[in-house]
Amino acid sequence: MDFALSKEQTLLRDGLNKFLTARYELEKSRAAAKTGPGWQPEIWRGFAEELGILGATLPEAVGGSGGGPAEAMVIAEELGRALVIEPFVDTVIVAGGLLARAGSEAAAAVLEHVAAGSAVVALAATEAGSGDHWEDISTTAVRDGEYWVLGGSKAVVMNAPLATHLLIVARTGDSEGQQAISLFLTEFNPAAPPAGVTMHGYRTIDDRRAADLIVHELRLPAAALLEADAWPSLALARDEGAAAVCAEAVGAMRKVLADTVDYSKQRQQFGQPIAGFQVLQHRMVDMYMELEQAASAVYLAVLNLDAEPTTRARAVSAAKATVGRAARFIGQNAVQLHGGMGMTEELAIGHYFKRLTAIQYEFGSTDYHRARYAKLTRPTR
Amino acid sequence: MDLAWSAKDVEFRDEVRAFLNAKLTPELRRAGRLMTSVYADHEASMAWQAILYERGWAAPAWPVEYGGCDWTLTQHYIFNRESTLADAPALSPMGIKMVAHAIVAFGTREQKDYFLPRILTGEVFFCQGYSEPEAGSDLAALSMAAVDDGDDLVCTGSKIWTTHAGEANWIFALVRTTRSAKKQHGITFVLIDMATPGIEIRPLVMTSGEQIQNQIFFDAVRVPKANVIGAIDDGWTVAKYLLEFERGGGAAAPALQVMAESIAEAAAHQPGPAGGALIDDAAFAVKLADVRIRADVLEILEYRVLAVVADGGNPGADSSMLKILATELSQDITELALEAAGPRGRVYQPHATLPGGPVSEFIPPTDDYVSGEPWQAVAPLHYFNDRAGSIYAGSNEIQRNILAKATLGL
Repeated sequence: MDFALSKEQTLLRDGLNKFLTARYELEKSRAAAKTGPGWQPEIWRGFAEELGILGATLPEAVGGSGGGPAEAMVIAEELGRALVIEPFVDTVIVAGGLLARAGSEAAAAVLEHVAAGSAVVALAATEAGSGDHWEDISTTAVRDGEYWVLGGSKAVVMNAPLATHLLIVARTGDSEGQQAISLFLTEFNPAAPPAGVTMHGYRTIDDRRAADLIVHELRLPAAALLEADAWPSLALARDEGAAAVCAEAVGAMRKVLADTVDYSKQRQQFGQPIAGFQVLQHRMVDMYMELEQAASAVYLAVLNLDAEPTTRARAVSAAKATVGRAARFIGQNAVQLHGGMGMTEELAIGHYFKRLTAIQYEFGSTDYHRARYAKLTRPTR
Repeated sequence: MDLAWSAKDVEFRDEVRAFLNAKLTPELRRAGRLMTSVYADHEASMAWQAILYERGWAAPAWPVEYGGCDWTLTQHYIFNRESTLADAPALSPMGIKMVAHAIVAFGTREQKDYFLPRILTGEVFFCQGYSEPEAGSDLAALSMAAVDDGDDLVCTGSKIWTTHAGEANWIFALVRTTRSAKKQHGITFVLIDMATPGIEIRPLVMTSGEQIQNQIFFDAVRVPKANVIGAIDDGWTVAKYLLEFERGGGAAAPALQVMAESIAEAAAHQPGPAGGALIDDAAFAVKLADVRIRADVLEILEYRVLAVVADGGNPGADSSMLKILATELSQDITELALEAAGPRGRVYQPHATLPGGPVSEFIPPTDDYVSGEPWQAVAPLHYFNDRAGSIYAGSNEIQRNILAKATLGL
């Protein structure tokens, strides 16, 4: 049993913290999200060239540094603390993991670009009809000579408007559920989507970019099939993504609680700081206990990501459900304790509240994970 | 960073498991399984203490020179966890887990030599005299008078919520030796022989029907000054030290996991509200998943606090957090067990359980008939008794006050 960070992990955390403190301004990032290109490409370049974090969890062979779940946790927590909108978890952890496990030359080539900061890979998995159950997709891929022909529609594909590549999940056979779920890799230019793809881009409630993609007779070369029967890899990617956003949420919640405690000591009402009122003290203690449970849940998930799939899924679902509950409680109460100002765009708290709201629904909602946990722990006899 | 135990820890776990397998008789396991509160059946508890004593494991947290074990904190956690998994009856905490630590830290040579070996064997069995009718959460407001009279203190007043006062032959108590402006000053920590003249016990019948708690009246009870722990008027220092042991514990999760798991197994055979098995009712399944998730997460949180202590750190107010989370989770689990028990949960049948004390005004059926399974008989009693969790050892409101002040600086 050991919860300590190694020397290298501590350096990683401190370096990233220093970079973000000096260079990542909340106002600038929101401006980029709302009226700019949707992100700050110079920050992404800094992540790659100055910090090397875009390869932190990728294999050394593609220019990464071969880290694992603990490194992902350390990075995601810092990104959460600074409310970074650039797509680290989606591109490096989720897409990066899928590409690394696929192991093909094409995948390795894309991974080199990911590590170097010149590729953003968006995963097109969720559909209107699948919800959180990615095994229930209905997008199909049919072989036609040297080509695959894809048809279907994908909902809320995170970062598609920023992407250089798409990973499309489609069904390559008649079977249902986890069988014949395959993964296709293709280059993508959001400014000029290929024939067969219509993109409706938008901003999400937490100031990120995403899109609905309508795919109709998209012809991809045979080599675009990255992995057939990709379900085990996809399920792992989703659990890794869930664990990473849990860590991100813990970073955000630490900041939110600290801001709320500070604010309660400054804000005077009835002739005294509101921090002196017991009902508010107890509320903040409950926020603190939710935070510490969430932080423990992250360890539970992260330290089980390499376990066999059932153990991993149980731990990740316990974590995501716990973090979802904490994110809702801490977010809502941080707004309440800040009063009307907590509802404005003027204070950081409102922006964190929106991110903490979105996280509750990423990589499976709180209720999805509760239900999955219930299923996994149901007595069998 | 990892959750794995070292090879040495695994070896230790196997050693503990083998011991428990060999020594826990079916009767002892039954006493562990049918507990209706944090207290096991008194006889079973003392029998198990004797077996542990023989192995040298009755008081592992004590310093080795007094009969403790040279274990790492992880080993303590493993021992507690394995004991719970094996349905070992709980040992009474007041002697081994509480007053002994005060004697070790503040006692004289004579006090240590007399009490520690006898606590280990069970010859001396302590109860605790802290709360008074007018001093509960505000413990320092206690007023039981102790008047200086030569070699003795003469004690008059009353203590309440004294667990196992009838079974105990000694009590450790906080008494008022001096009235001063600062109420924490002037309190003295004393050990009183329960056979001293002037002591009267009034059992309190709890909602479960059990008589484990008591009120004690002291009428001019003479306590030799040789039985004061620490300095006269400085008992608050000793009491505060002990409260951390009382709250600390830090290995509640395994027992809670076992409780929740047994609800899952039971619910697979109970009818659900909309037909089918209860375990397949969506609303129930989510509630059950929720408490099991909280137990899984609490286990990691306990490990994290343990890691701080193992590094030589002080858990400080984190022990308050663990106390709140463990007791509130336990209450939710007992609530769910009562739901799972269905109609049988309304039947009062303490004879099918093994409570920590006698049951008042109950005549068991002559044929020992039990409606349903023993766990269904335990469910309501455990639910009632578990309300104590958020009240004892400093109510959870007091713990939140401590966290607000110590951790958040409010």
